Amino acid sequence: MNRSILLTLALLLVQGISLAQLERKLANADRATELTFHAPRHINLLTVEPLDKKVLHFAIMHTFGPVSGGLRNLYGLDNGANIQFSFEYAFDERFSVGASRSGRDKFYNLFGRYHLVKQTESGSVPISVSLMGAAGVNTVDYGFLQEAAPTFSERSSFAGQLMVARKFSEKLSLQLSPMFAYFTEPLPAYLIEGEQQLYLGLGFSGKYKITGKSSLTLQWIPNLNSDLRNNLGLGIDLEAGGHVFQLYFVTSQNLNEQYLLAGGNGSPGEEFRLGFNVNRIFASGRK
Amino acid sequence: MRRMVLRFLSLILLLLASEASAQRFQTEAGEVVFLSTAALNEFTGESSQLNGLLDLESGLIDFYIDLNTLDTGIGLRDRHMRDNYLETKKYPFAEFSGNLEKSGPLEMNEPLEVEARGTFTLHGKEKFLNITGTLTQLTASEILLETGFEVVLGDFDIEIPKLMFYELSETQTVTIQARLKKTDL
Repeated sequence: MNRSILLTLALLLVQGISLAQLERKLANADRATELTFHAPRHINLLTVEPLDKKVLHFAIMHTFGPVSGGLRNLYGLDNGANIQFSFEYAFDERFSVGASRSGRDKFYNLFGRYHLVKQTESGSVPISVSLMGAAGVNTVDYGFLQEAAPTFSERSSFAGQLMVARKFSEKLSLQLSPMFAYFTEPLPAYLIEGEQQLYLGLGFSGKYKITGKSSLTLQWIPNLNSDLRNNLGLGIDLEAGGHVFQLYFVTSQNLNEQYLLAGGNGSPGEEFRLGFNVNRIFASGRK
Repeated sequence: MRRMVLRFLSLILLLLASEASAQRFQTEAGEVVFLSTAALNEFTGESSQLNGLLDLESGLIDFYIDLNTLDTGIGLRDRHMRDNYLETKKYPFAEFSGNLEKSGPLEMNEPLEVEARGTFTLHGKEKFLNITGTLTQLTASEILLETGFEVVLGDFDIEIPKLMFYELSETQTVTIQARLKKTDL
């Protein structure tokens, strides 16, 4: 008899526990991974980080003179900056188009980004893959040249990039970006070091989170088919509300893909330049 | 031995019967809104995926929400909220589990003031909360629960950064509205 009472009590208890609470279930276990990088820009390269639908991303990017100028030139800040203004608008979660303008060679660039695959939190998709393509034109007035000024098509250049990224943990994200740049006519008057038309490079981008809102950043772009020095950048990303500030040292003053590959680089350490990006999102949705 | 088995079976039957008559009301689509009122910036976040259970017989009240479903209308702000503040990968849920303290018979379309005491869990931290709200019997099988309370982010180890371009209030006002439907187990 005692035993059956115990049994009853045990049953009641078990039932009580199983009925006590709702089972906690995630609304969507296959959610896309977020914030692989802090912004669509990472030092100078584009990333797989998408924009939300109908969102405008604005980046103002600067690179100054070489730090080796010392205090006399305020570590390169006196030399004047190459500045790039970049606007990118997302039509939906996958596709965005952008336009940028950088001071060096008064270069206008139109670009698009398409996100093919997005990594998921559950791991069902291990990587994110995006594509970018760009077409740009150098708009310097070459009236000072003895020969005739280059034509529009001679001033044109193109770039393409495949971006493969993975957020390995809350802290570490890496991106591999095979990329090319093509100049229809790489004239000596242009502020590039290369003389060939086609440039191939392999971009590496890395992010290592050090606190909730800041990360150490790395950019390395070995050239695959030219003798130019490789691009190296080291920096820090700081999130502050709707802005992402990116401070870095980099070996090139160039800010767009074509010039990053063809423009040449100083030797790391010696000819590092200070660089500074501000990323800002403008949402057209409700506040 | 046979008597034991019989007794056991009858007990199970009895339990099942008591379950069927239990006054359990549930939802998977309750609405939650939080309001952040800082000096220069006011915004709300919403979700309509609140999961809730109310057992009028035992007084049990149990609610949780997947914090990933909260939407403030700005994607980047949502991502920062999830990744930097709520850390939803580690702590995906906000939960309240407790008991109805003051309750009475429900009458059709008459809001009844009730009080619930229980544990609120957010960001891996628990806090004892006393929440007042109303219950309204809408139909024989539907009850409307409405309540609101304040959540002080510091109580849950959620740090508010000093350098922010959108301001975040230390105290968040949470409002809940849920239509709970009678369930048969």
